Amino acid sequence: MFLIFQRLWQVNWAEQWQYRANLIMYLLYWLVSPIIYLAVWTSIANSKGDVNGFTANDFITYYMTLLIVDQITSNIIIHTFAYKIQDGTLSGELIKPIHPMLTNALVNNIAFKGLTISGLIPIWILLFFVFRPDFSSVTLNGILLSIPAMLLGFFIGYLLSATITALAFWTTRVYSVHEFFYALILLFSGQFVPLALMPRIIQDIAQFLPFQFLIYFPIQLILGNLSTTQITQGFVTAIIWLVISLTLFTWTWRNGVRRFSAVGA
Amino acid sequence: MHTLKLLAALFRLNVQLALAYRADTIVNILLNLMWLGWELLSLSIIFSNTESLGGWGFGELIALLGVFRLVNMLMITLVWPNTEKFNQSIRDGSMDYTILLPANSMFLVTFSRITIWRFWDLLLAIILIVIGINTAGDITTPLSILTFILLTVSGAIIIYSLWIVLMALTFWFTKFDNNVTILQALMDAGRYPVTVYPVWLRIIVTFVIPIAVATNVPLQALRGDLNIGRILMFISIGVASFLIASQVWKRGLKQYSGASS
Repeated sequence: MFLIFQRLWQVNWAEQWQYRANLIMYLLYWLVSPIIYLAVWTSIANSKGDVNGFTANDFITYYMTLLIVDQITSNIIIHTFAYKIQDGTLSGELIKPIHPMLTNALVNNIAFKGLTISGLIPIWILLFFVFRPDFSSVTLNGILLSIPAMLLGFFIGYLLSATITALAFWTTRVYSVHEFFYALILLFSGQFVPLALMPRIIQDIAQFLPFQFLIYFPIQLILGNLSTTQITQGFVTAIIWLVISLTLFTWTWRNGVRRFSAVGA
Repeated sequence: MHTLKLLAALFRLNVQLALAYRADTIVNILLNLMWLGWELLSLSIIFSNTESLGGWGFGELIALLGVFRLVNMLMITLVWPNTEKFNQSIRDGSMDYTILLPANSMFLVTFSRITIWRFWDLLLAIILIVIGINTAGDITTPLSILTFILLTVSGAIIIYSLWIVLMALTFWFTKFDNNVTILQALMDAGRYPVTVYPVWLRIIVTFVIPIAVATNVPLQALRGDLNIGRILMFISIGVASFLIASQVWKRGLKQYSGASS
């Protein structure tokens, strides 16, 4: 099994490495909105002193951490997989004795992530000198705790996106469903602004949803803003969501493949 | 007259294409409304924490969102679909057929694909601008409204010209698939007043990829931030960039050698 993953890694890394130039463009594209939000909120914090207790530095550290966390927890499965179901190329992968989504596509996503993160590091260092964040609240404990949190976040996000991708077995409009899903992420994950500044009702709902584990929960762990109870509560909710999303995915995939009849078959 | 007829024909063709996917159109409009809801919510979250953003009030930001949506509409109705077709045609050489047609090639490349349903954004944008300006309570005169319209058009032309130049560069570097990504990437910067950005970002979105000129400047005119000299300057930049773009396009076209030769 380990050997399979090793081979898959070699193939997928080589495949992603071909698209280095695209990767830079992708990074640029993806960097713009966090930097804009950072600029908007620090400008408000600077003009008023603070926003509900958030100082300019709080916003800078929040979005600078977000850049890393988002890159680790996000995935591109919809763009690399949905078309295979639609045009029938999936049939070639189905005859292999390994799960297409949980092996090949997963490794492909991680290879992509590896490359984008290595591209992000120099940019991040540059931004560090531009914005000069004060990361003094970060502790080693927080960073260590955030690693399992980000892993949980990645797998929850990956399984949910994979579930949506698998809807391509039923509908051709899977990209629209994914767009809606993305809007939910924006609303409930803390991507736009720390959840504590969102309207009360959104915060209350977000607590029970999986989206906070993609962004807000790992960031808060790293920045050391959570109490022990909040940390335990967070991890328990995350594990519950991991189970839910795994169940959702297995069910959708199993029924989807049964419906699948490749073009030309 | 000839050009108008051609435009009408292309428009008809694209309406027919869109009618084949009616359900998609409805889904797209619903998603578009969802994003509008999100944009308004995010503005209200910002303004529940402050009274002004970079010196601009809530109403002015709603109007700015309207202008932003106009420019974005230009991107979605024309720029994206036609770039996709154009890049393909450079790679496989089908650009030959476009050049052979007895019409201006720049015109054909601009209008051959049109995402029809996006035209409803025009209506939405106008509603946003009108509501925004009324909420802001800026004093408007017929003259300031005319300046606003002229500057919006000239801003759109600047973005359009930049697009044409980026596409024309593909004639020189055949494998320049990412030609418009940079334009698309910085688009979001047009949603907010440039005054909130750090200087380096302000320079990029003003001089390198002038998204901010297209969205901010028309509203600055309405707010009375611009004197007559500035207004004339921005309008002439619009005219000049169009002239430069069509020259670059002509030069680029001479470089084109087809895919097989």
